[in-house]
Amino acid sequence: MIELKNVRAGYGTPDSFVAAVDDVSLTVNDNEILGIAGESGCGKSTLMRTLYGDFSGGLKMAGGQVTGRFTDPDSGRTTTSEANRFQDLWWDVMSYVPQGSMSVLNPIMKIEKQIVDALPKREKKGSKAELRQRIVEFLAGFGLPETVLDSYPHQLSGGMRQRVLVAIAAFVRPRLILADEPTTALDVVVQKRILLMLVEIQRRLKNTLVLVSHDLGVHYQITDRIAIAYAGKIVEVGPTAEVFESPRNPYTEALIGALPRVGQKGERVGLEGRPPSLASPPEGCRFAARCPEAQAICRKVSPPLADKAPNHASACHFR
Amino acid sequence: MRLLGQIATRLISYVLVIAFGLTVVFFVPRFAPNDPVEAMLAQVSSQGAYMDAAQADALRASLTDAFGLKGSMLTQYWNFIKRIVLTGDFGPSLAMYPTPVSQLIAQALPWTFGLLLSSTLIAWVLGNFVGLWAGWRPNRASSRIMEGLAIIVYPIPYYILALVLSILFSYIWPIFPLTASVHGAPWSFAFIRSVIWNSFLPALSIVLVVFGWWVISVKAQTTQLAEEEFVRYSRLKGLGDGRILTRYILPNAILPQITFLALQIGLMFNGAIVTEILFEYPGLGHLIYTAVIQGDYNLLMGTISLSIVAVATATMIIDLTYPLLDPRIRAR
Repeated sequence: MIELKNVRAGYGTPDSFVAAVDDVSLTVNDNEILGIAGESGCGKSTLMRTLYGDFSGGLKMAGGQVTGRFTDPDSGRTTTSEANRFQDLWWDVMSYVPQGSMSVLNPIMKIEKQIVDALPKREKKGSKAELRQRIVEFLAGFGLPETVLDSYPHQLSGGMRQRVLVAIAAFVRPRLILADEPTTALDVVVQKRILLMLVEIQRRLKNTLVLVSHDLGVHYQITDRIAIAYAGKIVEVGPTAEVFESPRNPYTEALIGALPRVGQKGERVGLEGRPPSLASPPEGCRFAARCPEAQAICRKVSPPLADKAPNHASACHFR
Repeated sequence: MRLLGQIATRLISYVLVIAFGLTVVFFVPRFAPNDPVEAMLAQVSSQGAYMDAAQADALRASLTDAFGLKGSMLTQYWNFIKRIVLTGDFGPSLAMYPTPVSQLIAQALPWTFGLLLSSTLIAWVLGNFVGLWAGWRPNRASSRIMEGLAIIVYPIPYYILALVLSILFSYIWPIFPLTASVHGAPWSFAFIRSVIWNSFLPALSIVLVVFGWWVISVKAQTTQLAEEEFVRYSRLKGLGDGRILTRYILPNAILPQITFLALQIGLMFNGAIVTEILFEYPGLGHLIYTAVIQGDYNLLMGTISLSIVAVATATMIIDLTYPLLDPRIRAR
């Protein structure tokens, strides 16, 4: 379980700080698939990096707390840690699936080495042949042949590469897997395979999967809960089916309304305008300028993220 | 089978390149306006030797034969190629008649090779090491100092640097000899020491400049690679800095450097002409210089041919070994 309390994270100096994640509180439960959705620049990648404790490239946490409590199912031992110490848990308790691209794997290293070199000590017990055998069996479970291990990245197709990336992350049996746009840039057939693979792994390990994607379809298919981000804030979070059925936030409603449906005639209506600048966010609700239901109060007071139904919270004054 | 075909193609192009190079080497001097035989005769008579017409004709005939200038252009060409390929014989040097060209080259080769091979390798290893570090930790003071040094030294022509070093350390503070003079029995300790002593300044002038180039090029490679997704991913996999640097960045950064190194080694057979002249260093560069100044065609043809073969061989070796280093080049 990971708990975020009033987290403020972003880039820059204290004088000119751009908070890509601003005052976000969120609980990521054990044994669930949590989706984080939102458009480009809404802060979902920064939120993801904060969850993973990846504070590089100028990302800083300016306030709040990220606490992780992970229980090992075999030993029952619990590890508690803060985001700035998560690094010690990488590829042990938590792992990460990047967006697969041509250059995400070392072009001149065989896949086997790229799997083995990140393994924690507990996985490296036994002989090399044994380890290879275990990896082979693990990959076979996802329809990946043994030859993959002796291949270089350029010899694999895009879909295979992505499946390898998922397998590398899952092989260490982590308590938390973070997947950052794992199916973006893949065709729908391959997308489905990757998603099924992610779900199967989560069901098997009973761990937590956090999936970041801008594709609501992906969230609808596999996530248990979904958090909608807008301009550095979480504006709605709740059970996925419920959020899609009866969104409690005008922004979520607009997002869902923009999805094409089978049999639908005419053009879908989008929202006017663009999200506000994160460098100088407006007073009040950040969606107010584009919200069809905005009132005077929306431009003055920022609505808190509050429960509107059991386990279903939204940041809106009126819903 | 595919691989064999590729190797065969590469070997054929190797032979063609050399054949073409040797052809150019053969024809260019023959289209030059001066006649080496007449030049030689003039040299002999200018030294005060008296010859009557019959003697002059006999000498002319024997020189023409010795220089390989007998018969039609085509027979000359055929004999030239045959001689080179079969025996590596370029005939006698004209300036140092009758010492064979091959012997002169054989004498100069170890000097040049010793100087250039050691200085090139030292510069390569040092330069790549420093450049890798500077690219990996660009904000460290040590990185900035080394990079600054490289940028200052790199654009200085090596002969200017050689001149400055020579004035500083042979003239103002006479630590090193001004011109090379080697003593001691061959391969004795004193001999080796004296060789190193004599080679130090020329080697330093080459190392410094080439070092700068390696630093700059590998630093650029490293900075670019450090931004690559696979490096970021390896960091997120929890790998330590040392491992990322040695297993992910270094092998990728070093690939183009290996190509450059092989080309440099090929070019070595030209010698470092100006360095060798400045330090009176008895290497190939010096030999080429002598050949040009004294109009020694055979010697010139010999040294140039050697250089052609060396560069062609070096590039062929890179082409054939590169697939072993970079899996992306391998035949699919």
